[in-house]
Amino acid sequence: MSALLVALIAGIGAGALYAMLGTGIVVAFRGSGVINFGHGAVAGYTAYSFHELRVTGSLYLPWFDPIPEFGFLKTLKINNLPVRIDIFDVTDPISGKPNLALTVLVCLLMSAFLGLLMHFLVFRPLRNSPTLGKVIGSIGVFLYLSSMMAVHFGGQNRYDAGFSGFNSTAGAVENFLGLGRTIPRSNFYLFGAAIVMCVIVWALYRFSRFGISTRAADENEKGAALLGYSPQFLAGANWVLASITAGAAGILFLHKTQPAQIALFVVGGLGAALFGNLTSIPGATAGGLIIGMVASGGVEITNYDWWPEILPPSGVRNFVPLLAIILVLYLRGDKLPIRGSISIGRQPRAPKTNNVSIGVIAALGIALLLSNIFVSKWEAVLTTTLIAIIFMYSLTVLIGFLGQISLVQWSISGLAAYVMIRLMADGEKIRETDFVTNSGWGWPTVLAFVAAIVVAIIFGLLVGLPALRIRGVQLAVVTIAAVIAVENLLLRNPPLMGDGSVSVNPTPSPNWFGQYVGGFNPNTARTDYWKFSLFLIIIAGLVGVGVANLRRGQIGRRFLAIRANERAAAAAGINVARMKLLGFGISSAIAAIAGCMIAYKLPGLQTDQFEIFGGLALLAFAYLGGITTVWGAIVGGCLIAGGLLPEFLGVHFESIDTGLINAVGAIGLVVNAKVTNGEGVALLQTDLGKNTLAMLRRPPDDESSENLNDEEAKV
Amino acid sequence: MTNILETKDLTVTFGGLNACDHVDLAVPTGKFVGLIGPNGAGKTTFIDAITGYVPTSAGKAVFDGADIGEMKPHERAQNGLVRTFQSLELFEDLSVRDNLLVAAYPTRWYTFISDMFHLTKRDEDIESRVDWALDIMGLNDVAESMPTDLPHGRRKLVGVARALAARPKLILLDEPAAGLDTAESQILGGHLREFLNHDMSVFLIDHDMGLVLSVCDYIYVLDFGKIIASGTPAEIRESPAVKAAYLGEQAGEIQAQEGERMRGQQQETGEDSD
Repeated sequence: MSALLVALIAGIGAGALYAMLGTGIVVAFRGSGVINFGHGAVAGYTAYSFHELRVTGSLYLPWFDPIPEFGFLKTLKINNLPVRIDIFDVTDPISGKPNLALTVLVCLLMSAFLGLLMHFLVFRPLRNSPTLGKVIGSIGVFLYLSSMMAVHFGGQNRYDAGFSGFNSTAGAVENFLGLGRTIPRSNFYLFGAAIVMCVIVWALYRFSRFGISTRAADENEKGAALLGYSPQFLAGANWVLASITAGAAGILFLHKTQPAQIALFVVGGLGAALFGNLTSIPGATAGGLIIGMVASGGVEITNYDWWPEILPPSGVRNFVPLLAIILVLYLRGDKLPIRGSISIGRQPRAPKTNNVSIGVIAALGIALLLSNIFVSKWEAVLTTTLIAIIFMYSLTVLIGFLGQISLVQWSISGLAAYVMIRLMADGEKIRETDFVTNSGWGWPTVLAFVAAIVVAIIFGLLVGLPALRIRGVQLAVVTIAAVIAVENLLLRNPPLMGDGSVSVNPTPSPNWFGQYVGGFNPNTARTDYWKFSLFLIIIAGLVGVGVANLRRGQIGRRFLAIRANERAAAAAGINVARMKLLGFGISSAIAAIAGCMIAYKLPGLQTDQFEIFGGLALLAFAYLGGITTVWGAIVGGCLIAGGLLPEFLGVHFESIDTGLINAVGAIGLVVNAKVTNGEGVALLQTDLGKNTLAMLRRPPDDESSENLNDEEAKV
Repeated sequence: MTNILETKDLTVTFGGLNACDHVDLAVPTGKFVGLIGPNGAGKTTFIDAITGYVPTSAGKAVFDGADIGEMKPHERAQNGLVRTFQSLELFEDLSVRDNLLVAAYPTRWYTFISDMFHLTKRDEDIESRVDWALDIMGLNDVAESMPTDLPHGRRKLVGVARALAARPKLILLDEPAAGLDTAESQILGGHLREFLNHDMSVFLIDHDMGLVLSVCDYIYVLDFGKIIASGTPAEIRESPAVKAAYLGEQAGEIQAQEGERMRGQQQETGEDSD
C-alpha cells in the first residue's frame, strides 16, 4: 500500500509537465479559440534549442534553408536564409558552457517568437476557417516543429545536467515520509515550478488589463471589439504567453524527458486543459497533476500479482490521459465552451466524382505502365504510393464526407496489421533473417486478412461511439489521445501481438489464390514483385471506385448532410448515430486494408511505423491533395515521403530528407487550409479555380487584374 | 374524424419557466391547422417538443395513433412527422435537388454496399415526388444550384420543399413565410392549401396573420405557453381574448400592420443569422 501511495505522490513529476502544458493550452484557447495540438512540440523544440545552445553555443531558428546548396544553385551564390546563429562562444576556457540565465532568456525569447509565428502565419490567417481548418492548422504546427526537430537536432535523446535540482539523477529523498521508499528530488522541484507558473499566469489573467480584456474577448469577441480591444492583438499576445509557458516547460523537463517525447506529452496537457474546462488555469494545473498521479499509481498497480499481463505498464500510463479526456468530455461534453468567434467558415466542398470508370481505367493504365517500367527501387516507391492512397481513402470518407475529425485511423491500420500477423503466424521462422518468431493460429492469408478487417471495424466503431456525443475539435482531442494509448496499450503488447511487437514483428508470407503477393519473397528473391504491384493497383482501384460511388450515392448524400447540419439531418429522417458509425466502420475497414498491405510489403513491422507522426503526416498530405475527393487522396499519396513525387525529385536533384518533406507538407497544409479550404485538387472545381482558369484563357484587362489583386490580398 | 396529432398536457420547462404549459391541441387528419401567438409565446418550442428536439417534462403527444414520447427526432421524421425550421437549416454542401433527395430516399442496412458498386436503383416514384416538390415551390430552375447561391427567401422555400419530399403525413411549418419577399410569399401562400391534396395534414406557425387566417381550417392561439383560444378563423377574428392578448383593441387596423412589422423584423433577424 505504501508503494502505491509513494507512486501516486511521485506522479507529480510527470503531472507537473501535464499541468504546465495544460496551462499553455488554456491560455492559447482563451486568446484565440484554438486548441493547439502543437503545443508540446513548441516545448520540445525549445528544449532541444536549450541543449544545443548549452553544448555548441548555436541557436537553430525554426525553419530550414529553402535553397539547397548543390549543383548550379551553389554557383548562383544566393544569400541563403540564415538558419544557424552562433550566439555563444563555447570555447571559453573557464566555464566551457554559456551563461545559464542568458541561455534560458534566449530560449524563452525564441519560444515567444514561435508564438508570434504561429499567430501570424497559421492561426490568424485561419481565423475564419471551419473547425477542420483550425484543427489541421494546429496539426500542421505539430508536424512542422517535429520535423524541424528531426532536421536540426537529429531527433536523438539529449541529456543535460543544466539545473542540478531538476535533474532526475540529482539525488533522491530517501525513506520518503517514513514509508521506506525513495522519490526523486526533482519531482518536488518540478511540482513547485508548475505551481509557480500557474500562480503567475492566473494572476496575470486576474489582475492585469491584458488579462481582463482577454477574458472579455473570450466571452464576447464582438463586444470586446466594440469596446476598442483588438481581438487579433489579444490573440497574438496570448499566443506569445502560451508559447513562453511551453518553452519554460520544455527547458525544465529536458532533464527528465527526451525532447521528442515532450511533444507527445501534449496529450496529457490536453487532458489537463479539459479538466480546467478550457478556461481555468488552476483547474488545468490541478487536472495535470491528477492525471500524472493517477498514471503513476496505475503503473505501480501493474506490479501486483493479480494484474493481467495483457495490460503493460507503459500502456496503462498512456491510457490514463485518454481516460481523463473521455471522462471530462462525457461528464460535461455539452457544457464545454466553444469559444464564440465572430465567424465560422464554410466546410470544404465535396464535389461528386462523375465518370468514375473512365478515370479508373486511365489511372489503372498509367499505373500498370509505371509498374512495368519501374524496376528495383521504383517498384517499392510505387507500392508505397499506392498503400498511402488506399489509406487516404479512409480519411476521405471519414473527414471529407462525414466531417468527423479522427486522428486515430492510422493506428487502426497498425492494429489490423498486427492482428493479421498474429493470426497468420505459426511459431516458425519465416525468413532466415528474422530475429523473432511469433506463435499464432497459422490462419490462411485470406481468412486472416478478413479477420483483421473485422477487428479494425469493431475498434473503429468503439472510436466512433464518443463521436455520437461530441463533435469537431473535441473528437480530434479524444482521437489524438487514442493514438498514443493504442500504440502503447495494444500494439506494443507481446502477450497480444506476439513477441516481436516490441522490436520487429516478422510478417508472414501472404498467399492469395496460390500467388505470392508481397514485398519480400524469401523463396524467389523478389523477382515476382510485379504481382504485388498489380495486386495493390487492383485494390487501390476497387477501393477508389467504391469511395467515389459512395459519394455519388445516397449514403454519400447523407454523410454530407450530417457534416453540414446534424439537426436538420435528423429532421430529414436520417439516423445520425447510425450513419456516423457506418462512416467510422467503412473508414476503419479501408484503413485496415492499407495496414495489411504494409505488412505484406515489409519483412517486419515496427511499431514506430504506426506512431503519431506517420498518421499526422498522412493526414497532412491527404488534406494537401484534397480531403473531400478521391482525386485528392490520389494526389496526396503521390506527395508523401517515399512516394512518387519526392522520390522522383530526389533522383533528379538530391535525395530529400523525410523531415524536410514533412515540413514542406506541413507548410503546404496551412497554405492549403487558407487558400482552398482543404479542397486541394478539387480546386479546379471551385470558383477560385474556375476564375483563375478563365483569367488565364482571356487576355488580361483591367477588371480581371483587379480580381487577381483581390485574391492575392486575401491569400 | 381521427386526429393525426394530438397532445395532452404537453409541458416543456426551461429552468423555472414553462415554455409550453399543459398544451392540449389536436390536428385532424387532412386538415390545415394554424398556431399563432406573439413573440416568445412558445410556438417554436411546441414544434421542437413534438419533433423531439427538446425534452418534454410532462404530458404526451400521440401521432398517427402512437405515443411518440420516446422516439428520436429521426424516427418521428421517418414516421411522417416532418418539420421545417425557422432559421435556414439546409445542407449547404448539397445541391438543392440533393437536399430533397436526402429526405426523400429511405436507406436500408445494405444501401452502402449497393452504393459502393453504384447499383442503388433510381426510384421513379420518389424522383417524381421530388420533382413535384421542386415544382410546387418554384425551384425547378435552381435544382442543381447550391443553396448558398440562392437569395434568402428561396432558401426558405428549399426547406419547405425538403419537408414535402419526405412524404410527410403531417408537415409542421415553422414560420415559412418569414423573410420571404412578396413574390415568394405568393408562391407559398398560393400552394399551401394544395398540400392537403397529397395525403398530408398541415400545421402552420406564422406571424403573418393574413396568411394564417386565410389558409387555416382551425386556429389555436398560444400566449405565455398556454392555449388561450381556439376556433375557426372567423371565431378567432372575433375572439375578445385573442384581441386582448395579441392583436390589441383595434384589431382591424393593427392586425395588418402587426403582420407587416413582424415580417419585416423577421426578415432582418433572418439575414443577421445568415
